[in-house]
Amino acid sequence: MASINLRALAPIGVFFLLCFVIAVFSPNFLSVSNAIRILNASAIPVVLVMGATFVILMGSIDLSVEGIVALCAVVTASLVLNDTTGANLGLWAVPFAVLAGGLIGAVNGATHVYLKVPSFMVTLGIGFVCLGIATAALGGFPVRISDRGFRALTLGRSLGLPNGIWVAAASVFVALIIQERTRLGRYVYAIGTDEITARQSGVPVERTRVLVFVLAGLFSGLAGAMAAAQLGQGHALIASGRLFTTITAVVVGGTALSGGVGSVLNSVVGVLIVVVLTNGMVLMGVPPFVQQGVQGFLIIVAVSLALDRRQLEVVK
Amino acid sequence: MGKLIRNTVMVSVAAMLSTGINSATFADDLTLAISMRSLSNPYHATFARGGEEFAKSVGLPFEVLVTEGNSEKGLADIRALISRTNGNVCINVDPNDSPDAATIVDEAKAAGAYVVTQWNKPDDLHPWDHDPNYVAHMSFSGVGTSKEITNALIDAMGGEGGIVAIGGILSNVPAIERKLGMEMAVADTGGKVEILDFQPADWNETKAFEIMQAWLTRYGDDIKGVWAANDSMGIGALEALRQEGKAGSVPVVGIDGTEAALSAVEAGEMAGTVAWDPTWTGGMGLSLCHAAATGAIDIAAEPHAHREFYGTGIVVTPANIAEFRSRDASFDYNDYWAKSTGQIQYQ
Repeated sequence: MASINLRALAPIGVFFLLCFVIAVFSPNFLSVSNAIRILNASAIPVVLVMGATFVILMGSIDLSVEGIVALCAVVTASLVLNDTTGANLGLWAVPFAVLAGGLIGAVNGATHVYLKVPSFMVTLGIGFVCLGIATAALGGFPVRISDRGFRALTLGRSLGLPNGIWVAAASVFVALIIQERTRLGRYVYAIGTDEITARQSGVPVERTRVLVFVLAGLFSGLAGAMAAAQLGQGHALIASGRLFTTITAVVVGGTALSGGVGSVLNSVVGVLIVVVLTNGMVLMGVPPFVQQGVQGFLIIVAVSLALDRRQLEVVK
Repeated sequence: MGKLIRNTVMVSVAAMLSTGINSATFADDLTLAISMRSLSNPYHATFARGGEEFAKSVGLPFEVLVTEGNSEKGLADIRALISRTNGNVCINVDPNDSPDAATIVDEAKAAGAYVVTQWNKPDDLHPWDHDPNYVAHMSFSGVGTSKEITNALIDAMGGEGGIVAIGGILSNVPAIERKLGMEMAVADTGGKVEILDFQPADWNETKAFEIMQAWLTRYGDDIKGVWAANDSMGIGALEALRQEGKAGSVPVVGIDGTEAALSAVEAGEMAGTVAWDPTWTGGMGLSLCHAAATGAIDIAAEPHAHREFYGTGIVVTPANIAEFRSRDASFDYNDYWAKSTGQIQYQ
């Protein structure tokens, strides 16, 4: 890690360049209230990329994000004071949602590792299963939350910032510790760089893979609870669009889909780039039918700037 | 090619069988079915429930087909149902895409099945050109109701100020119609109300949430009202306002009449929504189809206004929400056109 090169800073450069361009067109962009709005909109995606980054660092992929988030949002909404069930756990619903996410992650990981099914297919399938369960359990209707105390998880403020931002910051802290200070974190890089060498050096590849999917599930579960608090309800479609943002943010941040290269901090920058882009295009008044094109184009530019090609021998 | 031949054979067998057992035993063997996008949204879930209630009332077997947003799957399921029932089937279908309606009608006609369509069909496809199998097309006036709900928003704003508007998927017919109705209502104010910005959020509440946040930065207190092309996006915008402590002080309107939106209207946080009646479209669509199939009515003799008609969209505002909640929502399955609000008009 000693050889810090310019590439590693590229995502941050892209981020500041983007901010500069938007600020030129729309001075409001730099206001404190807008900064808070951007951080707030980033909170759930940041929690999601904390899990997704480890999976991608390992060279796998987790497509079950939307399914887990939706199912955990439904679980959360059903456990707090709501219009459908009789439960009233308040904030204690959050650990249940996180655990439920972890459990689904364990199914992802175990199926992937022990049945040797590619993570792409396993997580795609499990994601659909989760959406199916959420749909069948509710019959298409939302569970609406009436617990104001629980909704403070994202609506309330501490030290002037919405609580969602603090939850996201705590998630980044935890993920960073795991990445830098635990064996699990180092194993992930080893597996992502070269699985065969890692195995021969005694890295418990199977166990690490399962644990990483559990970790991704835990973060998705937390994101589900946050989504339920933010929108005041839980339903099967609550997470639609989250998967694209998550994977885009990880890659834009400079983490390679082939594994081994990247970091959770990169992914935080990736989320900020994606969110600032959405926010900025509305602020600059870019016509809606041009927005998607601009978004696609800028994402490719960001990725091509951020990727350190010297570390990438194979691109798939 | 093999599939085509097989399908043709099956359809002709189905057609022969259905003509063979025509009049006497026809009604006994009838299956009732509903086809729509998905069971994961309240509108379609209620639509299916409406159909199921009618099927129970006449004691006939009932099936739900789901396209999952895939026209091919939708058509394949309907084909399979028609051949499985030898054409002895009434289908109330919300086609995934407009062109699908033409294929469904052709298949039904060839097999002697009966079809009612909802919302989506090509403008030049008419039930009276496919007697008697294409029974009717039901829809809601997107432009008219959108105009009404926009007027409710303008009233709540005190008649003037800037609004921001959140649209659906740009190519969807309801999204286009609702946007048009909103623009017409704004134009009618003669410049007192101004559309600050229009952004599509693809019917998605999270997207609407993010767009609303950006608008708060761009326009701040100049936003006097929020218009959303459906309730999900309206709720997304409302939650973005709530985050800033502005829920209830900036009026929001949506369309669809979901429970979340109705509660927000009750709480004074939304200025209105349009309640469709999916129980009615689900139940009455099948009832009409059933009546045509069993000969209870001679559908070919009915006027055009009974073949292509709008249902009733109720504009619900804080002023009439109590009345709306306590209304008698039941209807008579044999009074087919009681809730029709006129023949469908093409723009």
